[in-house]
Amino acid sequence: MDETLAEFIKRTILKIPMTEMMTVLKAWDFLSEKQLQTVNFRQRKEPLVHDLVLLCEEKRASVHDAALLDIIYTQFHRHQKVWDVFQMSKEPGEDIDLFDMEQFKSSFVKILRRALKNVTVSFRDAEENSVWIRIAWGTQYRKPNQYKPVYVVYYSQTPYVFTSCCQLKSNIPLLGQALTVASNHHKIVKMDLRSRYLDSLKAIVFKQYNQNFETHNTAMPLQERTLELDIHMDSRIIHENRIEKERVQRVTQEAFGNYPQPRLEFAQYKLETKFKSDFNGDILAERKEPLRCLIKFSSPHLLEALKALAPAGIADAPLSPLLTCIPNKGMNYFKIRDK
Amino acid sequence: MEWANDGKSKGGVLAHLERLEIQVNRSRKNLEDPQRAQAVESALGTKIHKLRCLRDELRAEVKQRQARVKASTVNVEPDQTLEISEQEVVERRKENVKAILQAYRFTGLSGKLTSRGVCVCISTAFEGNLLDSYFIDLVIQKPLRIHHHSIPVFIPLEEISAKYLQTNIQHFLFCLCEYLNAYAGRKYQADRLQSDFAAFLAGPLRRNSLCNLLSFTYKVEPQGQSFPFCARLLYKDLTTALPTDVTVTYQGMDALSPAWEEQRASHENLFFSKPLHQVFTSFARKGEKLDMSPVS
Repeated sequence: MDETLAEFIKRTILKIPMTEMMTVLKAWDFLSEKQLQTVNFRQRKEPLVHDLVLLCEEKRASVHDAALLDIIYTQFHRHQKVWDVFQMSKEPGEDIDLFDMEQFKSSFVKILRRALKNVTVSFRDAEENSVWIRIAWGTQYRKPNQYKPVYVVYYSQTPYVFTSCCQLKSNIPLLGQALTVASNHHKIVKMDLRSRYLDSLKAIVFKQYNQNFETHNTAMPLQERTLELDIHMDSRIIHENRIEKERVQRVTQEAFGNYPQPRLEFAQYKLETKFKSDFNGDILAERKEPLRCLIKFSSPHLLEALKALAPAGIADAPLSPLLTCIPNKGMNYFKIRDK
Repeated sequence: MEWANDGKSKGGVLAHLERLEIQVNRSRKNLEDPQRAQAVESALGTKIHKLRCLRDELRAEVKQRQARVKASTVNVEPDQTLEISEQEVVERRKENVKAILQAYRFTGLSGKLTSRGVCVCISTAFEGNLLDSYFIDLVIQKPLRIHHHSIPVFIPLEEISAKYLQTNIQHFLFCLCEYLNAYAGRKYQADRLQSDFAAFLAGPLRRNSLCNLLSFTYKVEPQGQSFPFCARLLYKDLTTALPTDVTVTYQGMDALSPAWEEQRASHENLFFSKPLHQVFTSFARKGEKLDMSPVS
C-alpha cells in the first residue's frame, strides 16, 4: 500500500467522529471482527487511527476499499455536501425501462473511462434500489485526486439524479453523458434546485413531502388548530382578532399544508424587472431598463420559516406564490422578468 | 313558681309562703289521686295512639297516591323508551355505514370526498394478500388536476394522466389500478423469494425499482449437488405480474446432460406460468412431480 493511499485512508478515518467509529467500520466490512477486536477503541483518536491504518495495510487495502469507506462516511454525513438535482428525459414512445443495475454500472464506467483514463469510480448499493457513485477525477497525466470526489445518487427507473457540487465544472458534461446513456435516457438538464438536505430534495422531486390523505379509516385528519385564548383581553377584542387569525391560519394551511416541510436553506430570486413605485417622480421609476437585483432568503429551515411568517404577524397572508410554489415547482432558484 | 318581673315576690314573704303551700297541696292532690293521674295518663296515651293511627293512615294514603302516579307514568314511559331506542337504531346504522365505507378499501378502489374534490385510494392485492395502498387527491376543477399523491415516482403517472385524466377518469383510475396492482404483485414475488427462499439462492437477487427485471442464481436443492442455474426474468408488460421473457442458463463450462437440459427447459416454462415464490415452493417439495398447469 503506497504512502498516498495510506495517507488518504488515515485522513478519511480521522474525519469519522469517535461516536460513529464502530458503526462506520462495521458498515465498511473491510476489517474483520477479529482484527477490530485487537484494537483499543478507548485510546485517543490519533493513536487509534494509526492502529487502524496499520491493520488496513496488513490487509492490503486498495484504492477501491478506501473509496468505499469514503462513500460510507459521506452517506453518514450527507449534509456536509451541497447537492444539485438533474432531470433526465427520454424520447416519447420509448420501450419500457428494463433497468439492470450491473449493466448500468459497467456502462457508466465504460463511458467515463473512454473519455478519461485516470478516474476512480466506485459504487455502493443503497436502499430503495438506489446507488451511490463516487468519482475521483484525474487528468490525462495526473492520477485521480481522491480528496475532491463527486458523489452521485441515483434511484433506478427515475428521471432524477442528485450530485454533490462539483468543483471541476469541466467534467459535468461528461458525467451527464455517462448518466443518461447508462440509464437509457436521452437528455439531462440541471434543475434550479439545490440544498444540503439530500432527503428533502428527494422528497421534493419525488413528490413525497405531503403524505396526508383523507380516508374513512382515519379519524378526522384536518383538525383546525385551536387558538390560544388570552383571557385577560377584552372579549370584544378577541372576537375581532380571532376572525383574522383564523383566516390567516386557513390561508397558511391551504398554501403549506398540514405536514412537515422539506428542508431547504435558501431561496434565491434574480430580478430583472422594471422598478415599480407609488411615488411619482421617483428616480428609479423613470428608468426604462430593468432593475437587476438578487434577493436571497436564508434560514436553517426556510419553508417552515415562511410558513410561520403570516401566523406570526410578520407578513400578510396569503404569501406571494413565488414563495409558496417552491416545493411544488421543485425550484429554489428563480429568474423573474417582466412579462 | 312565678316571680314578679322585678324579681321581688309580691306581697312579701307571707304571700310567698302561701304560694308554696298551694303548690304543695296541688302536688299532694296528684299523689293522692293516682287514678286521676292515671286517667290523665291514659287520656294522653289514647291521644298518642290516635295520632299514630292517623299518621299511619296518612302514610298509607301517600303511598297509594305515589303508586297511582307511578302507574299512570308507566303508561307514559314506553313512549320515552321508544325514543331512546330509535336514537340507538340511528346510531347503530351510522356506525354500520361507517364500517361499510371503511371496508370499501377491500374492493381495491375507494374514495372519500374532500373539501376540494375527492381522495381516491387504490388498495393493491396479490393472491388474496392485501398489500400497500396508494392515494391520489384530486381537485375537482376545470381542468381536473392532481393535488398530491403517494404513487411511486417510477410508475408512469404523468403518462397515464396525460392520456386519460381529462377525458375519461374511470379509465384513468382503472389504468392506474392495473399498473399499481401489477407492480405490487411483482414486488411481492421478489420479496417472498428473497425472504422465504434465500436458501435456494446462490448470491443476491438483482432487482430494480419497478421489479420488472429480476436476475438470480439458484439451485433446485439448497444442500444438494444440483447445478446452479441463472435465471433472468423480464417483465416488459407493466400491467402483469408474470414475466414476458425468461432465460434460464447454466453456469458452467461443460455441456449439460440431457436430464439437466430437460430440467432447465422445464424451469423456464415454470417461471413463465407461475408466480416466482410458487415455483420455489414446488422446488421445495422434493421429489414431487412439478406441476405444469397454468396459474389459476
